[in-house]
Amino acid sequence: MSDLYLVYKNLTRKKLRFFLTLFAIFIAFLIYGALTAFDTALNAGVELSADNRLVTVNKINFTQPLPISYVRKVETIKGIAAVVPLNWFGGYYKDPQQQVLTFAVDPPKLMAVYGDDLAIDEDHYKNWLKNQQGILVGKSVADMYGWKVGDRIPLNSNIFSKRDGSTSWEFDVEGIYTGKRPQADTNGVYIHYKYFNETQSFGGNYIGWMGIKTTDPALNEQVIKTLDEMFVNTPFETETVPEKAFNKSFIAQLGNIGLIISSVVFAAFFIILVIVGFSMALAIRERTGEIGVMKTLGFPSQRIFKMVLMESFMLTFLGGSIGLLVATLFLGFLNEAPQFPIADLILTKGIILQAVGVMIVLSLITGIIPAVNALKLNIVTALSRR
Amino acid sequence: MTSIFSQIITVVMMNIRSLPRRFWMSLAATLAIAVVVAVLLSFLSMSNGFRKTLEGAGTEDTAIITRSGSKSELNSVLSNDVVNIITTAPGIAKDANDRPIYSAELYVVVDGIKRTTNTKVNIPMRGISQTGFDLRKNVKITEGRMFEPGKNEIIAGASIQREFSGFELGNRVKFGKTTWTVVGIFSTGGSAFESELWADARVLQSQFRRGNSFQTVRVLLSEPGNIDGLLKAVEDDPRLMLDIQTEADFFKEQGEALGGMVKLGWILSIVMSLGALAGALNTMYISVTEREQEIATLRAIGFSNISAFFGTLVESLVLSLLGGIIGTVAAYLFMDGLTTSTLGGNFTQVAFTFEMSSDLLMNGIILALIIGLVGGFFPAWRAARLPVVLAFRGGA
Amino acid sequence: MTGGKLYDLRGVSKSFTKGKEKITIFNDLNMSISEGDFLAIMGPSGSGKTTLLNLLGGVDKPTGGEIWFDDSRVDNLSESQLAKWRANNIGFIFQFYNLMPMLNAERNVELPLLLTKLSAKERKKNVAAAMELVGLSDRAKHMTSEMSGGQQQRVAIARAIVSDPKLILCDEPTGDLDRKTADEILSMLQLLNREFGKTIVMVTHDPSAANYAKRVLHLDKGEFVEKDLVA
Repeated sequence: MSDLYLVYKNLTRKKLRFFLTLFAIFIAFLIYGALTAFDTALNAGVELSADNRLVTVNKINFTQPLPISYVRKVETIKGIAAVVPLNWFGGYYKDPQQQVLTFAVDPPKLMAVYGDDLAIDEDHYKNWLKNQQGILVGKSVADMYGWKVGDRIPLNSNIFSKRDGSTSWEFDVEGIYTGKRPQADTNGVYIHYKYFNETQSFGGNYIGWMGIKTTDPALNEQVIKTLDEMFVNTPFETETVPEKAFNKSFIAQLGNIGLIISSVVFAAFFIILVIVGFSMALAIRERTGEIGVMKTLGFPSQRIFKMVLMESFMLTFLGGSIGLLVATLFLGFLNEAPQFPIADLILTKGIILQAVGVMIVLSLITGIIPAVNALKLNIVTALSRR
Repeated sequence: MTSIFSQIITVVMMNIRSLPRRFWMSLAATLAIAVVVAVLLSFLSMSNGFRKTLEGAGTEDTAIITRSGSKSELNSVLSNDVVNIITTAPGIAKDANDRPIYSAELYVVVDGIKRTTNTKVNIPMRGISQTGFDLRKNVKITEGRMFEPGKNEIIAGASIQREFSGFELGNRVKFGKTTWTVVGIFSTGGSAFESELWADARVLQSQFRRGNSFQTVRVLLSEPGNIDGLLKAVEDDPRLMLDIQTEADFFKEQGEALGGMVKLGWILSIVMSLGALAGALNTMYISVTEREQEIATLRAIGFSNISAFFGTLVESLVLSLLGGIIGTVAAYLFMDGLTTSTLGGNFTQVAFTFEMSSDLLMNGIILALIIGLVGGFFPAWRAARLPVVLAFRGGA
Repeated sequence: MTGGKLYDLRGVSKSFTKGKEKITIFNDLNMSISEGDFLAIMGPSGSGKTTLLNLLGGVDKPTGGEIWFDDSRVDNLSESQLAKWRANNIGFIFQFYNLMPMLNAERNVELPLLLTKLSAKERKKNVAAAMELVGLSDRAKHMTSEMSGGQQQRVAIARAIVSDPKLILCDEPTGDLDRKTADEILSMLQLLNREFGKTIVMVTHDPSAANYAKRVLHLDKGEFVEKDLVA
């Protein structure tokens, strides 16, 4: 027998109350785990953005076009390693509800700028280069629709139409890419810009935006200045920002999702704080006599203080760990499920560390008052109260 | 029957009067329920407000024509030819000169600054005509004046003023090489149009190099809600690959965009309810344990176990109702009227207001009562089955 | 039978204020207890016998005077020094047993040993010996809530002696028991005193319980009424 055993026995002596309190904590950490993983996945683009990459968009708004001729001009700027033109295709598969995030790109340039993030089979990549109707598909999309290398699939556009008036393009799946890091978003699909530009019916030679890789992040500021000044007072003024800033503002458009998530998580923790806090206080009050006896037997007050705190720690960590565990299982299940077009939901190390921090704080808050009461408990009054 | 009823009343009153003894645990359960209700109502009022803002924009009198499959005004493109053909279709109201009443419109996206976050966001800029202006419900210029055709002038919606900066009356804004002046502020009674900038369609065409193409056409229907003539015209003419909807239906669909929020709100609050339920059960079991002797004594002197059951159940319901009321009042005070904006179906910001309604409030109260009912039932069951002999045991 | 002086109370006084009123329980109380004694303290409610026991057990402090135990002063020890002192020197037996309801019998007995440096193995040995002594070896794993009052008090005795203290303090040890069981418990205390040399101080209001003691002190209004009995 040890103090830990005593703490455990104290904690579990009223089975029903123990279970109910544990359950409340479990729920709070389940919500915490699931929502924070969601928030992290949403912000994965920001987290994974590279310091040496920039995005150049039309200054009016990023949905406004830029001329394709800009690419060659920009490539000459000192400090730029590579430039890739990208164009939003507005793709969907069969049903307009089934959006496919499709981009028309120049494949070798795509690899030059974003190659560090994309893992793709060398042979598949070569085949994609050769086939103008070939597409490179992200693993999430491939899984969602069951596409395999060699499949010929139709993609519609809700923006562009072909010269013959139809909005349906046929593509050959030549390769499936995965992210080099687990949080990477693989919901994108890449098609050949050249093929797209030649077959679509609107005025061609426009692109949506440019992805840029600089030779050194330290040069970013200078590159941005040179680039944007290059096109001042043209009909297509540009605005260049670091990738991280671009991704951040893109997410911010959705509204303050972080605030919503943290409010809900805060509410959940507030609930368990009051429930667990008051039941801990009650439990210790009910044990006043026993604590008096322990002290009479010679248990030092500090040791009893520690045991009460340990009890709230044990309760919170037990409930919290089960909550995180179930959250992990639940997220794994969500990741498997199709129709979930964001990056994989993962309980990252950061989330778990933060959860442990929250557990410590909760344990302290819920345990400290009962523990201090137990510490200060006078033996004579404790025993005479019986 | 009367005797059972009066027994229940007696026991309930005794329990309620003894509540202060269990003040802190009862408070914990009540607060937990209040928080759950407040969370639910926040989500519901958010999506309710969003839906009303978009639905408020649509009318049955008008039909909206977009390119087939485009789903949103932003993605749609209509050539001048198509506009000319479709506006001759039957079912469109005519003006005094027997010309169809329609508005061919452009829809482009420009940058604005969201006030709350100070970040760049997508603001829709619509090219319309006087006819297009008149087609909107409840539209009026509240400050300044209407834009003049042919000039680089903008009128900005009231929500734009509230949520985003950069488009104050008199401001000059630069898009590419061209400079525009904000000459007026308009209101459409709080609907989604108030999150837009309006300018002359022809000017927009030239400044944004759209040739003579448009994106959408709105037509006034000769018979509200009846788009059969238009649908038939599309069916008969293979050149017309168009989607036709009444404006009311079109915006209703877009208003569903935050429907997921309703689902999420319910899922989260139900999961949280389970946590609050654990608190309620805890409290009520403690209440029964504390009153064991009292309950057994009442039973010994002839009170029925039904009264013991209801006594406990009603106590739980009272606590949960209290929590529900606190939660709704808090949600109403803090959430109702809160304004914010998010990305709508057109990939542009829609400013909206959190809107509570009596239906929503009832949802909150019902959720609270369900927690109270379940949280009270099992402890009440235990109270009803307490052995009477407990009354005769010493209370050492 | 009796050895040297174990306890020496010198001019001990104890008073406390209740509201504005000052209540004095003892004023200049002197007494000593020798090693190996079995002392019964009797007296009506409010006579101060429980307070005296609290002072002897070091769970309460006098407002004046000195308490000496084994030739060292204990009344001026700090809270934590007193706790250590109690753990080393004193076993307690209470009227309502005061066992831990969540622990089984042998773990209740083991509790005071958590305050020693004994290894798990040694603790187990000592617990077994104590259980053997009170005749409950076969009930070691039972929960105390399933035991009779007499059995529970025997567990409490085992707990009081397991760490081999010099002194055992009993507060109405038979107050909750029937006559027959009470006699069993008292015989057991007598045995501990005679065979194992434990000094025992017992507060009781049961005259027949006092018969088991070597010495009886009557306390009334904070004073010993038969002064001649005070050594």
